[in-house]
Amino acid sequence: MTTEALARPMARPLRRISERSGLNTAAGHVLMVLLSIFCLFPVYWMLASSFRPANAMFETSLWPTTMSLDNYTQAVDAIPIARMLFNTLVFSALSTVFQLLTGILAAFAFARWKFPFDKLVYTAVALTWLVPFQVVMIPNYLLVAQMGLLDNIIALILPNLAAALAILLLAQAMRGFPKEVMEAARMDGARNWRILWEVLVPNLRGTIASLAILIFISTWNEYFWPLLLSRTAENSVVQIGIQMFMTAEGNQWGPLMAASTLASLPVLLIYIVLQRQVVQSFMKSGIR
Amino acid sequence: MADLAITDVKKSYDGKPVLHGVDIAIPDGHFVVIVGPSGCGKSTLLRMIAGLEDITSGTISIGGIEMNDIEPSDRGCAMVFQNYALYPHMTVRQNIAYPLRIAKLPQSERDSRVEQAAKILNLTDYLDRRPAQLSGGQRQRVAMGRAIVREPDVFLFDEPLSNLDALLRVQMRIEIKKLHKRLKATSIFVTHDQVEAMTLADTLIVMNAGRVEQIGSPSEIYRRPASVFVAGFMGAPAMNLLPAKADADGLVRLDGVADGIAIAQADVAKGRLLTVGIRPESIVLSTEVGSGLPATVDLVEELGGSRVAYCNFAGHEVAVVLPAGDENIEGSTIWLTLPQNAIHCFDRETGLRLARSTPNGRVLRAKNLSEAAP
Ligand SMILES: Nc1ncnc2c1ncn2[C@@H]1O[C@H](COP(=O)(O)OP(=O)(O)OP(=O)(O)O)[C@@H](O)[C@H]1O
Ligand SMILES: [Mg+2]
Repeated sequence: MTTEALARPMARPLRRISERSGLNTAAGHVLMVLLSIFCLFPVYWMLASSFRPANAMFETSLWPTTMSLDNYTQAVDAIPIARMLFNTLVFSALSTVFQLLTGILAAFAFARWKFPFDKLVYTAVALTWLVPFQVVMIPNYLLVAQMGLLDNIIALILPNLAAALAILLLAQAMRGFPKEVMEAARMDGARNWRILWEVLVPNLRGTIASLAILIFISTWNEYFWPLLLSRTAENSVVQIGIQMFMTAEGNQWGPLMAASTLASLPVLLIYIVLQRQVVQSFMKSGIR
Repeated sequence: MADLAITDVKKSYDGKPVLHGVDIAIPDGHFVVIVGPSGCGKSTLLRMIAGLEDITSGTISIGGIEMNDIEPSDRGCAMVFQNYALYPHMTVRQNIAYPLRIAKLPQSERDSRVEQAAKILNLTDYLDRRPAQLSGGQRQRVAMGRAIVREPDVFLFDEPLSNLDALLRVQMRIEIKKLHKRLKATSIFVTHDQVEAMTLADTLIVMNAGRVEQIGSPSEIYRRPASVFVAGFMGAPAMNLLPAKADADGLVRLDGVADGIAIAQADVAKGRLLTVGIRPESIVLSTEVGSGLPATVDLVEELGGSRVAYCNFAGHEVAVVLPAGDENIEGSTIWLTLPQNAIHCFDRETGLRLARSTPNGRVLRAKNLSEAAP
């Protein structure tokens, strides 16, 4: 700052605190509403179309003029959708649980201990994140085939037991946790296992819940890996089932939309449940 | 209850020495305060006693048992951290009971101990709150509660009051002192705060750069600092430290001052370089103009009950505590007398205090002395 500026401070404009200016907030809200419509409309259209009877499928009215559940009965008849949803749920839930479990254990080791080549190993883990699925697809397939696990849910889960993202994210969160609190636990007589599960994990609920949402949804939406492995409809996931309505003779839009709706519901539900947990944990976490 | 012996303890981080051999013996039930500038190794020493840090060499024993390789929780130490280190997800009750739960104490015993600790620390109304819903002072008390329920032999405090405001600090200081009177456990308390150090300590330890500078009672350390470092570190405003030279027969001559100051039987060779220390509150303001040594007042700090004048005295900056008054003396000349029994002599090279017999208590005017000297 020059002495000139110091000499006449009043020459600077006095700006109001921007949060109070109503115009900016209103403009921001309008933009956000437009963006939400942009994101939510396809979902709404899916829902609406799933209730349109076949002859009204290509109507452009916002609200279906006639409503029917035909698409749903058709979808349920065409594919074993309940079985598929169950498979998808098992696949997603187990992948989530195992990725969190292995992630928590590995992250604790990285965050808490020094061991030979620890940085190198950490970097290696981080690098596996950058390897695209297409590169490991064939080796994984061969491995699973040799194990005789083709067309088996277990084979779907195997490559998803551990993931770099979970390890990296959790290790970062654990490094950020106050060291003194862990030391206090150590003085109180807790060993590592207790410190991890009774002190660290309860305080990382927010991170763990967000991570769970992320893993669950991405596993739920997985398509290629199940496509490679599944041979029968009974042993595949719902995303494969949806694809079955897209045939060479044309797409059966009605049942497809119905199946898609059914496939989205569980995700939505889990998101809502866990989201509340996430928000709550953010509000509560007043560490220190 | 246990005594604590720290024998030639050294610590290096990656080959870089941080503690250079510390020897401290603490009798059972003593309250020891460790002070020293930032980075001198106070926390490191405390954490080594607690077992949170490896000991590079030397031994630490508690109650006569060597603790070097013993788990922190088995050493009988409880620690109170500067930022409290409470478990954020547990209620106050759970926080305090946690060490007891790990020790697998029966529920009824746990409850009664928690209740008792809560009563001592005035926490009974807050037992079901979480740390985030407490004030700083309350959190501090929870941390103390978690320490006392374990009934440890040794309490370790690492600057436990430094996050509190001034008033609360004084309150908590008094509570800690009371608690110690009641529990009589050996306590080691690290602080930056001089008043805390002086008021709490049975024994005060002054550390500097990884070494113990002096161990003694607070008044001993205040009255007879063992080195220039301790002299300058303890006391506020800090002791004036002036360059001087030994003159003939027990006479010390401040640089730039013609008159000598007699130091009773100072056994120093003529010409030896010294540092002379005198506390700002020990300097006497002469009542009559022209008697004593002249100093020009540069700045006056008002403290309410007294004033501190920063003066230019023969080219040295000297702080003087003056009685409260309204007259503006900045820029004027005041006349100072340096009472002989308040003068501390240190070797300039080693910084160590010079041995001398106890002062005779006579106040000798510098001017008169120079006439008396041969
Ligand atoms: N984990 C560590 N690795 C390397 N050096 C360290 C480590 N911990 C502390 N040190 C060094 O050891 C020295 C002493 O640190 P310590 O924390 O004991 O100081 P302190 O006296 O407690 O200071 P303060 O009053 O600021 O708390 C410092 O120079 C610090 O840089
Ligand atoms: Mg410290």
